[in-house]
Amino acid sequence: MNLKKLKSSKARRLHRSLGAGASIFVLFMVLSGLAINHSNGLGLDQRHVSQSFLLDWYGLGKPEKIHSFAVGDDWLSFAGSQLYLNEKPVATISDGVGAVFNGEILIAAGSNELLLLDHDGNLIERIPWVPIGAAPIESIGLYDNTIVSVKSAGQLWQADTQLLNWRQADDSSAGPLWVTSEAAPDDLQEAVTASYRGEGPSLERLLLDLHSGRIFGTIGVLVYDLLALALGFLSISGLVLWFRGRRNGKPK
Amino acid sequence: MLKAWRKSFVVLVLTLSLPALVYADTVYETELEFLTRAFVDSPPEPNLLWLSGDRKSTVRQLLGHDYAALRLRYWCQAGRSAWVLNEIGKELPITVGIIVENNYIKNLRVMTYRENRGGEVATPAFTDQFVNAELEDNNRLNVRIDGISGATLSVQSLTRLATMALFLHTESNCSNES
Repeated sequence: MNLKKLKSSKARRLHRSLGAGASIFVLFMVLSGLAINHSNGLGLDQRHVSQSFLLDWYGLGKPEKIHSFAVGDDWLSFAGSQLYLNEKPVATISDGVGAVFNGEILIAAGSNELLLLDHDGNLIERIPWVPIGAAPIESIGLYDNTIVSVKSAGQLWQADTQLLNWRQADDSSAGPLWVTSEAAPDDLQEAVTASYRGEGPSLERLLLDLHSGRIFGTIGVLVYDLLALALGFLSISGLVLWFRGRRNGKPK
Repeated sequence: MLKAWRKSFVVLVLTLSLPALVYADTVYETELEFLTRAFVDSPPEPNLLWLSGDRKSTVRQLLGHDYAALRLRYWCQAGRSAWVLNEIGKELPITVGIIVENNYIKNLRVMTYRENRGGEVATPAFTDQFVNAELEDNNRLNVRIDGISGATLSVQSLTRLATMALFLHTESNCSNES
């Protein structure tokens, strides 16, 4: 009899502890479930998270480095493989080397191609470098403020005024002014970083991921599975305790 | 036992590197090789054709979208023009070299194929269908291009580029030399 009482008391203590622990989880699931059910009405699908740590969590990290070049009154910036004219993404380019303005068009150089852009950032032409020079582009500059020059494997190349033909130039002549990246204004760097990271997930997406545990990856889902099993156990243990109480004539 | 482990390791490494192999660009012909073939060893200097105004509108109509550049370079000699054009297949651009002469397609060849499926469009059995094709009044090809199962989007891209090259030839100074 004592053993039975002891077992029953242990079961009750386990039931209480699990119940107290699970109550927080249940409350969260109830509240998040209600919010998800009414996400359209609450406008959660239209609002996006912008907190830096959440964007990082979702893999929308900052660019490793932003290389900016002053081109006339504008800035051309390389962030990852994205090219920006001021804060506007205009094209993709790999291994950004530099950018110049020859008085008519903007020229951005990657290690393997040159991109010609108009003032609105429209792509005029993408010129692959391989048919011109065998080695990757190392730097870009301007000779006499107009002639676009490129250094590749230590050799100097110069374009005609239309950037249609390239010729190898004598390196001993007065060299072009090679461009180097400059520190763009802080607000521009922030705008480029924000554009690079893109719009964060919607609040509805965040709630769904929190509700399902997917925000913590596979481990989160497994932990939620365990919590769900604990809730199942609670309901069964509750029923068992209730039936026992009824059988002993003292429902509790 | 050790040999079996080694074999398993090699198979595992090969399997894991398969996606990288599948997604690699396939270069069938470089620009220099294309031009050398088009103009028998003496490629002329390139010319420029700007896509603006009505020309831009027509190209948009032919492709279903704007071409991804505002100007195109082409090579012209004795009424023959050569074009290197790009068009998205499914997700990545296909680079195609097209030779036009007397308003007919003399040759069309896939220069670089980047998609992981549909590479059959690069075979001569497919590209030879474009030879001698010309534009009808409604800016459509006068030949029927047979499709390839599993490469529908790439087939459509090449057909659009062939149409575009024929139109651009008529817009270029090269057509006056014919």
